[in-house]
Amino acid sequence: MLLEVQDLSKIYGNSCGSCLALTGEEHGRAICPECASVVAINSISLTARKNEILGIVGESGSGKSTLLQLIYQDITASCGKIFFNGLTDDRNQPLNILKAMPATVSHLRNKEMSMIYQNPHLGLNFLFSAGGNIAQRIIGAGERNYEKIRKGALGFIDRIDMETSRIDDYPENFSGGQQQRIQIAKALSSSPKLLLLDEPTTGLDVSVQAKILDLIKELQQEIGFSMIIVSHDLGVINHLTDITVVMKHGTLVEYGLTDQILEDPQHPYTQLLVSSIL
Amino acid sequence: MINISETKTKTKTETKTKIIDVQKIEKVFTLHERNSTQVTGFSDVSFSVNRGDLLALTGVSGVGKSSILKAIYRTYLVSSGEILFHRSDKSVVDLVTCSESQILQLRKREIGFVTQFLKILPRVSALQAVAAPLVETGVSEQDSLYQAANLLNMLGIREELFNISPLTFSGGEQQRVNIARGVIAPKDLILLDEPTASLDEQSSDRVLTLLADMKEKGIAMIGIFHDRKKIERVADKTYEITRKNTEKPFQAIREVA
Amino acid sequence: MNSTTFAFIDEDAKKEIRRSLLKAVALPGYIVPFASREMPVARGWGTGGLQITLSIILERDVLKVIDQGCDASVNAVNIRDFITEVTGVKETVNTSEASIIQTRHRIPEHEFAKDEKQILVFQVPTPEVLTTVEPDTAKQKQMHANSDYAKLWVLLYEDTSQYGDSRISNRYPVLINDHYVMDPSPIPKYDIPRMDNSPVLQLFGAGREKRIYAIPPYTSVKPLKFDDREFKVESFSGISCERCGAQNVFFDEVRRETGNHYFCSDTEYCDQHLEKSNAS
Repeated sequence: MLLEVQDLSKIYGNSCGSCLALTGEEHGRAICPECASVVAINSISLTARKNEILGIVGESGSGKSTLLQLIYQDITASCGKIFFNGLTDDRNQPLNILKAMPATVSHLRNKEMSMIYQNPHLGLNFLFSAGGNIAQRIIGAGERNYEKIRKGALGFIDRIDMETSRIDDYPENFSGGQQQRIQIAKALSSSPKLLLLDEPTTGLDVSVQAKILDLIKELQQEIGFSMIIVSHDLGVINHLTDITVVMKHGTLVEYGLTDQILEDPQHPYTQLLVSSIL
Repeated sequence: MINISETKTKTKTETKTKIIDVQKIEKVFTLHERNSTQVTGFSDVSFSVNRGDLLALTGVSGVGKSSILKAIYRTYLVSSGEILFHRSDKSVVDLVTCSESQILQLRKREIGFVTQFLKILPRVSALQAVAAPLVETGVSEQDSLYQAANLLNMLGIREELFNISPLTFSGGEQQRVNIARGVIAPKDLILLDEPTASLDEQSSDRVLTLLADMKEKGIAMIGIFHDRKKIERVADKTYEITRKNTEKPFQAIREVA
Repeated sequence: MNSTTFAFIDEDAKKEIRRSLLKAVALPGYIVPFASREMPVARGWGTGGLQITLSIILERDVLKVIDQGCDASVNAVNIRDFITEVTGVKETVNTSEASIIQTRHRIPEHEFAKDEKQILVFQVPTPEVLTTVEPDTAKQKQMHANSDYAKLWVLLYEDTSQYGDSRISNRYPVLINDHYVMDPSPIPKYDIPRMDNSPVLQLFGAGREKRIYAIPPYTSVKPLKFDDREFKVESFSGISCERCGAQNVFFDEVRRETGNHYFCSDTEYCDQHLEKSNAS
């Protein structure tokens, strides 16, 4: 088991204590009627194994991106547990990373997990060159040898099918698709075990989108890492993922093999979603 | 328990070992978009297949043949019944209840599915498309491409097409590429959805030869066929899907023929 | 009140600054906030160093104040005069004689006494080393807590890949006791290795920014550098002081029409060296 999420919730506002019970898909709302707190994520449990590719689908506001940010520790969960890759505490018990020391969380974020954001401004530091961005993660993972860092950065620039001569250019001088490629190179440069992708190709030209998805898939097969990919595009989900999670109102409404979700959806919402494909 | 299984193996020392045991499966679709209408895909389907055997599913269109294959592959969730898969390490997995991750593992090494239509990316060459499943199992790219070329040759795909996207091919060529892609990586059980449907005599013949070779290697198959001659050539048993499902030993058909 | 207290600052303020100093010494390289007081000089003119000195100084102390190595610059003289006036302590230009040395942008050339009894007080304009790479102060604190200095390393990486070496000439980031990276104040790179394992207590005060930090005696101070790269200090090979003839010290470079002229940056060192060569 690489990642195990148990009963994870995120509530915005001063919870009255019954928010989780009063919201979710069966109530058709994410706002608590008692205290008006917003329940972005409501008691979600899921697992990702080594080399598995998980997709999260759902409409805007269903909590997809929030879930990803909770896993990456961009935001702090209200309650629940997250276990990662056999990480244990000093008593050899599985370590809930929500309760882990900042240094452990830092290590997870800098080395073990990577996030690719829809907006390259979130994933890239525009004050650093393309190579510098990649170097940042290689350094963050502990490397302090300049030649190795430089070679690593050059290797990843090459791997994302970009001219290595562009390594010292700054992100603003690249196209949107190229910026996403640099994000991918940066994210993978620390050899993470889990790659989180938040709408990685939304907003790109269809042809560019296809090439980026190919690249992601290719690198996944070549290097071998697990992925959780958030997308509202079922085409992307079908193309990339093995297992799909369907979310609505902050709850998980369906979990299954991606081909099963698309061909034999069980939940009414999933059926609606699948029947809405153009 | 142990005694029973031992006696079972003793009584059929000559026969091949069982690979899959489908027991009373039923599929009911609930269409929430249509006032929760219920539609039965198939019901009371039971059969079993041995290693190295090919079971032919027959029956009129719309009777649920493809649905059964999809249910075995877990693309469809059955409403009731069991699908017991006997792995080579003698363990038995119920494909209906096991975890998604287990299914993914089985799909990688043990259970293959050759669908009717080729579903690949538009930017991949025929050779790469066929080699890909083998590369995924850890075989080197060079070896995989070599095997893919052999397989395509055997199925009569002209070499000049190897480096072109198969999506530009004719229907029959696409189907053969799809078969090659479906069988290149070693599997124990392969599901075939009308593997010869749109093929001419010669191409059909090549595919049937390939299927016969695969049986020799001990691979079990469940395939949807319509043509009785083809069934006679490769099938060991047929399972005719009607309102009342029947599993017939192949000999029965031959006698009729 | 009709008279000022000893050392100008009131006792409560001294207590607060001393507490901050104790915390700073206990956490080498960690930045401690303090309530910077109004001083009779403008902020940015050494008020941080001044407040530290006034908080720790005792009647028996001997004071030296330098500005870029010089005891006689206006700033140094003014601060020295002020402190001696409000304390009555003895003043000196002699490094080995001084118990407290307040400095701006240099470390004196003379070696310090090994007995850990000397204190070096630095005037600091920009205490937060991470400001250049991370403007968010909350994130800066987190990065310090996690010892996460990847962004500083990236600057070093970019300079190395684009210019062959770091372009930082002063304020070179240093790793203290293998945890915090800190700003050593705008001393030249030449002085960085001299901070390492030094017998003096090094205190840093930023009056405008209201921050204090410290390096206790004999603490490891390492410049950030890649494992496969050398840390290069300013090179003065073949150059000697035009006034005293000294070599292998840090020089002030004076550009005139007649060309570049070099003089010891540390005026006290220059004087002593001149005296010695005249005597022999």
